Amino acid sequence: MTPDILDETVEVWFGPQHVSAHGWATKLKLVGDFIVECDPHAGYFHRSAEKCLEYRNFRQGSPILERLCMLEAFLAEYPYISAVEQIAGLVVPERAKVLRTIMMEASRIHSYQFWWGQLSAEMGFFAMTLWPWVDREFFLDTFEELTGVRHSPHFSTPGGLRFDFTEKVLAKLEKAIQVLEYNMPKFEDMLMKSPLFRMRTEGVGQYSAKEALRWGLSGPNIKACGIPMDLRKDQPDPNLAYDMVDWEVPILEHPDHPGESDAYDRMVQRFNEVKTSVDIIKQLIPQIPDGPIIDPKARAKANRLPEGEAYGRVEGARGITSLWLKTLEKAQTPYRAKIRGPCFHSYYALKHLVPSARFADFIVIFGSLDPYPGWWDR
Amino acid sequence: MDAAGIVRTFTTKFPDIDVKTINEHHIEFTVGKDIIRDVITLVDETFPEVIPESAFGVDLGDDKYQVNYMFWSHKDRMIIQLKVNLEGSNPSLPACCDIFSGLEWHERETHEMFGIMFTGHPDLRPLLLPDELVGKYPMRKSFQTDRSRQAETGLPVRKPRPEGGAKK
Repeated sequence: MTPDILDETVEVWFGPQHVSAHGWATKLKLVGDFIVECDPHAGYFHRSAEKCLEYRNFRQGSPILERLCMLEAFLAEYPYISAVEQIAGLVVPERAKVLRTIMMEASRIHSYQFWWGQLSAEMGFFAMTLWPWVDREFFLDTFEELTGVRHSPHFSTPGGLRFDFTEKVLAKLEKAIQVLEYNMPKFEDMLMKSPLFRMRTEGVGQYSAKEALRWGLSGPNIKACGIPMDLRKDQPDPNLAYDMVDWEVPILEHPDHPGESDAYDRMVQRFNEVKTSVDIIKQLIPQIPDGPIIDPKARAKANRLPEGEAYGRVEGARGITSLWLKTLEKAQTPYRAKIRGPCFHSYYALKHLVPSARFADFIVIFGSLDPYPGWWDR
Repeated sequence: MDAAGIVRTFTTKFPDIDVKTINEHHIEFTVGKDIIRDVITLVDETFPEVIPESAFGVDLGDDKYQVNYMFWSHKDRMIIQLKVNLEGSNPSLPACCDIFSGLEWHERETHEMFGIMFTGHPDLRPLLLPDELVGKYPMRKSFQTDRSRQAETGLPVRKPRPEGGAKK
């Protein structure tokens, strides 16, 4: 007589050695094929970024933030720079504002291109993995032409930028967008209309807007539920150029389940995000003004900061990314810096989202939230 | 609701909280630890679309600590920051993660990094730290970051640098 598999629970560690679990591990309890309990574990990437920031001066801090998420490096470094600029009272030149915004949007597109590939690979759809990654190379070429490196560019600095656009950078960026726009309809056809992809994602990992707000989700994960929560629109940063552009926050209202989103909706949402970003970049490129890229006194002003507290925020590719900075009088280093990574909340949400799902759907649910371990471990 | 309206709502219900309006998108309330749960419940009731954005500790030195809660109300475009000042070497305050479950890990992290006790928290296991640092509270200012584990290596302890730099 064989025992019934539904009588006992089996404990499975998903990660840290699993191929998809790069830097994280989740303890799952299964009854048969169903997950009954999920316990996400963090800390495999913990490099004490907040403590490290306390030992670096205000111009050395931003590269630490870039390393938390290399895919959205131009966005990740910005909260720190914004907080320093607020305390130091730095005024950013117009040209720097526009160039910053353009590169932040390019970084956002690059991040989503990587993620299309990542989610497809996790689902075993390997053709879709490599094709967007080919296009991603064009953006990496732009970053390399601009800053000299492909990852962790250290582009912004308090008071302005470290690198200026040249004709060659602009040509490479335009080429990258041209390739993206040519290929994106193909990817949409291949992925979104594929019956296999739809079977794997529709109705999987479904949550309502109300639950998502409780967990603290932000970015595309909540915009897919129909809530237009976007810092670019809600809290326009005076040192960025989103007010120069005419655009709408992309949101998704699914006719069958309004106010809720599943893995498929979040995929569609991220395609729409890319279209918005392309639109913003295209509108900004003709508006790039001439002039300096950095306030000439920025270096001196960022050397020692007055006493103060500031909260730098940006709408990252994965959601609200923010940094709270406290400085003491004549500070050369931060007294306390707290990084808020968007994925800290989306990884936590697995605890509530995964139970009652099938084991095979676990990685789809995880991937559909677009998590990046650096953001929760810091 | 604008900033003045929000301030009025909070000060009417809790007359003894300190208010500081930082800018049109950011209000800061300094709250006692005995009413923090009531204030967070009021945040929940006042704003329809609010997310728990962050919660973190600050070591202010001399056994003084501060816990900050950040909420972002998308509809009112307002950051609500709640500051709780604590004292003592083993500070504690009531956990609020049953009101906003997204705060659970933030409180867990603050507990392991600062040694601040959140009473009533369901799960205070260490989140990010390795086993050997548990209970050492590395984000406290008293924690020696450099050479803190030198005793384990067996290397000789380096002498401290002379006061006022090298002799001329």
